[in-house]
Amino acid sequence: MLALRLLWRNWRSGEVKLLAAALLLAVAVVSGIAIFTDRLQHTLVQESNALLGADKVVRGSHPHDPVWEEEAARAGLRHTTATHFASMIYAGEHMHLASVKAVGEGYPLRGQLETSTTAFATRPDQIDIAAGIPAPGEAWADSRLLPLLHLQLGDRVAVGEYELRITRVLIREPDSGNPFSFMGARLLMNEADLPLTQVVQPGSRVQYQWLLAGDTAAVDNFAAMLETRFDAHQQLVDIGSNQRGLGRTLNTGQRFLLLAAVIGVLLAGVALALAARQFANRHVDQVALLKSLGTGSGRIRRLYFTQLMVLALVASLAGLLVGELLQRTVAAALLQAYQIRLDGPTLYPYLISLASGIICLLFFALPALWFLPYVPPMKILRRELAVNGLQLWLQVALAFLAVLILVLLFSQDLPLALSVIGALTGVFAITGLLAFGLLRLSQRLAGGAGSVWRLAVANLQRRREQTLVQIVVFATAIMLLLSLTIIRTSLLDDWQAQLPEDAPNHFLVNIPPHEVDAIQKLIETRHYQHQPLYPMVRGRLTHINGVELSATSVAREGVFNREANLTWTDTLADDNQVVDGAWWPEWQSQHGLPGVSVEAEMAEQAGLKPGDWLTFSLGGLSLEAEIASLRTLDWRSMRPNFFFIFAPGTLDDYSPTYITSLHLPAADKVFINDLLRTYPAILVIELDRIIGQIRTIVNQVSNGVQLVLWLTLAGGCLVLLAAVTSSIEARKQEIGLLRALGSPRRLMLGSVWLEFSMLGLLAGIIAVLGAEILLAGLQYWVLETPIKPHVLYWFAGPLLSAGLIGVLGVLSCRSAVNTPPAIVLREAG
Amino acid sequence: MSSAPMVVANGLVKTVTTYEGALTILDDISLEVAAGESLAIVGASGSGKSTLLGILAGLDLPSQGSVSLNGHLLTSLDEEGRAKVRAENVGFIFQSFQLLPGLTALENVLLPLELHGASNARNAAADFLGRVGLSQRLHHYPQQLSGGEQQRVAIARAFASHPRVLFADEPTGNLDSTTGGRIIELLFELNRELGTTLVLITHEERLAQRCLRRIELAGGRLVEAHS
Ligand SMILES: Nc1ncnc2c1ncn2[C@@H]1O[C@H](COP(=O)(O)OP(=O)(O)OP(=O)(O)O)[C@@H](O)[C@H]1O
Ligand SMILES: [Mg+2]
Repeated sequence: MLALRLLWRNWRSGEVKLLAAALLLAVAVVSGIAIFTDRLQHTLVQESNALLGADKVVRGSHPHDPVWEEEAARAGLRHTTATHFASMIYAGEHMHLASVKAVGEGYPLRGQLETSTTAFATRPDQIDIAAGIPAPGEAWADSRLLPLLHLQLGDRVAVGEYELRITRVLIREPDSGNPFSFMGARLLMNEADLPLTQVVQPGSRVQYQWLLAGDTAAVDNFAAMLETRFDAHQQLVDIGSNQRGLGRTLNTGQRFLLLAAVIGVLLAGVALALAARQFANRHVDQVALLKSLGTGSGRIRRLYFTQLMVLALVASLAGLLVGELLQRTVAAALLQAYQIRLDGPTLYPYLISLASGIICLLFFALPALWFLPYVPPMKILRRELAVNGLQLWLQVALAFLAVLILVLLFSQDLPLALSVIGALTGVFAITGLLAFGLLRLSQRLAGGAGSVWRLAVANLQRRREQTLVQIVVFATAIMLLLSLTIIRTSLLDDWQAQLPEDAPNHFLVNIPPHEVDAIQKLIETRHYQHQPLYPMVRGRLTHINGVELSATSVAREGVFNREANLTWTDTLADDNQVVDGAWWPEWQSQHGLPGVSVEAEMAEQAGLKPGDWLTFSLGGLSLEAEIASLRTLDWRSMRPNFFFIFAPGTLDDYSPTYITSLHLPAADKVFINDLLRTYPAILVIELDRIIGQIRTIVNQVSNGVQLVLWLTLAGGCLVLLAAVTSSIEARKQEIGLLRALGSPRRLMLGSVWLEFSMLGLLAGIIAVLGAEILLAGLQYWVLETPIKPHVLYWFAGPLLSAGLIGVLGVLSCRSAVNTPPAIVLREAG
Repeated sequence: MSSAPMVVANGLVKTVTTYEGALTILDDISLEVAAGESLAIVGASGSGKSTLLGILAGLDLPSQGSVSLNGHLLTSLDEEGRAKVRAENVGFIFQSFQLLPGLTALENVLLPLELHGASNARNAAADFLGRVGLSQRLHHYPQQLSGGEQQRVAIARAFASHPRVLFADEPTGNLDSTTGGRIIELLFELNRELGTTLVLITHEERLAQRCLRRIELAGGRLVEAHS
């Protein structure tokens, strides 16, 4: 086939190599990112859902509608139930207010129950993964329940009117972060026994959970449908709503990856467009010749189209292969470094990758080649005949359209796609203007400089249009790379900062006042990092400014609808910040009430402001307080955090218990057992697994980010290379001429170096400026991370860019300068 | 030599619009070239020679008048139709050789044959390169050949598809006189052997004299015709 033969000859003469490389890169970037993100997402969702015990949970104060079960089954979903409540349980003369969870067959749908025959088991060989749930008549108990009630395995405990036999020790379970679990030691029982206990009566405080799992799309659809039928007392819970910090990290990570993918593709696209332009210019003569030989435009179009398509196919497949290898490498590294096994990918990312190859080809390369079939045959006789390519603005518009389509393809998020386009438009406009201004300035400055300088600046000026385009391309590429590098660094820092090595990983709750001193001393002798012990009383907000809460519009919000932990303190924790009102010593009550400081986000939801007064119900007693201040706090900090903090002493009469958090090194895990044996009333909430999980996720995402950065960097280099080589062609002839006229080598190389370095410097300055603007926008709107200036890059950016582009320029011109002028002229002519 | 006319032009006018308004490049040109004949077009630079050649060969259209080539009325055909006529009847040689730099000598000659789907194209191409004395240089790239050698490749390429008419725009313009002389010899040798009609533009008296007939252009008009 002629087209293939032509393609082969074009390949051999190097004309399509850049084109192929750009395309390969585009596909490699997309596939590497898309496949990796896809696997990552699947794995993370699975892992996170294991924490919840299901993909989605319907939580309510009454059971779910049994009709839903049939519908769920029809939708192909698995489902089961879990009922949480607190109940006093008895063993002989001992009793304990336990957190009871009665579960249905199949619980948990995600994750697992870990049990043992030894209380406080920590060694893996002592721990089994349960094959089911406790049989009717049996129960599994939290380790500390055994010393609390002086029990042995096999003993009986009374739950309400029914007796259950403790058959195993429950070591770990999903959904342990549920506030209903904070009340006492866990007792896990079979749902079938629940009616026999008769503890759940109308009006008892019970949390009913209906757990759902299945195919992601099916679950999502079903849950969305259910949600429309919820009443005021039901709510949908998934990992996003359950784990704020985690959800956010995940989200930011994915957005970053997406953004990087788009930038990578964009860079590859620009390289592709430049390469295609170069290809087209070189082929004008060839097309004119083919036409003079009697080839019609239709045949020319077919010939070139076939060549392009074959090239695209081969390059895309190669790109896919590279992307696949890359993501496998990263996945393998993850497995080795963190023992994280990623799920297999789905087909979608592969399709997306191939599609992006084609989109890049159609929207970046084809417009540049569009005019080729229309080259007039007369061009062969009159070489100066102008050939009109597609208008530049149209090509740029098409490129933007391509970006829009790609972002939509990746994210299915129109606002995001539009904001990316908006940002790009801004970037190009600003870059163009700045480039123009700087070019004029350099002209004025070079006026009194030496000959090398004058030659270099004169060259830049003479090809002003080309220079402008080049600066814009260089600047854009460098800006995108800079932004990406900076975002990556700040993201990683931000994530690491969230979870420092010594972040608290255990909460001690329920510490009786008379044990406070002993516990404090114990922790201190062990030198564990810990927070102060806060007094804590559970209470419920009942009135806002005297209006009953149920009559207000915020009554349905989860935060207001449940018991909150109330505390008092005189010193503000360092991650808390007063944003409105005043902290204690300075604060003066207007109503003569005790003061309370309210979390700002919550206050905003309810329209609360300093001076408003709130009424709380604490175990039946009511307490009035006036809002003294609004406070922001960091929920991710893993410390005790409170929606409401009272002035010191306010809660003394409400029999508080104390809470604290501490960092327990992994090797000291037994400390908990010792603690619980001596102080069984204390409840320990183990967050080390969740923290471990978050770390894992951060590591996974960071690795992905790293990979993506390398790919994008490759894209950027390709753009620079394409832009430099495209101007070298014309330059060679000039160099030959100047050399023939006797210009010394040094002057030539010097001026080439200066010219490109200046280009690089200008581009670098613009890039840094643009990057700061872009970053501010991105961090503010997309990534929601704090905005900071990056002073180091202000200097490093332009200098690196000048160095890199200067070297690239000299390298690609060196052969022209070093070879005898006659040969250069002959080749160029 | 008189037989059916190969190229017939009637009342050719070519005007182009420039910044300074309409410009007439060719003004009322009529001529005929018989099959197997050789015609030299001479004239000062800018007199419209290349423009005329392009129109006669069907690369371009006149503003007025008609051209037919081997019986096909070019001026009534569209670009695809003219391409077809060119494919079947026309060969070209240019002042600046117009070899594709990425292709070897052999591949350059092969190109038109492949385009026309000729069978046994490789042998035919190699054969023609042999006839212009380049059998040792088949796999050399244009850059590795001298100007005269490059023009010989161009001649081989032009004749390889056995055109009825060969159009040449200053085929010796870029060559020294000795090399140019050899090229002229080669052209007329092939013209004789294959009976190809020659229409060529030249500044060289030597070359013009070898042609059976010559016309001279001045300011886009025909000034004299010798037979
Ligand atoms: N498309 C065009 N637009 C404007 N001017 C044109 C165009 N085509 C030809 N001309 C002008 O017409 C005149 C004749 O051009 P042409 O190339 O035919 O001359 P020529 O006789 O071949 O000259 P030379 O011997 O220098 O090759 C020139 O002045 C040229 O500038
Ligand atoms: Mg001419």
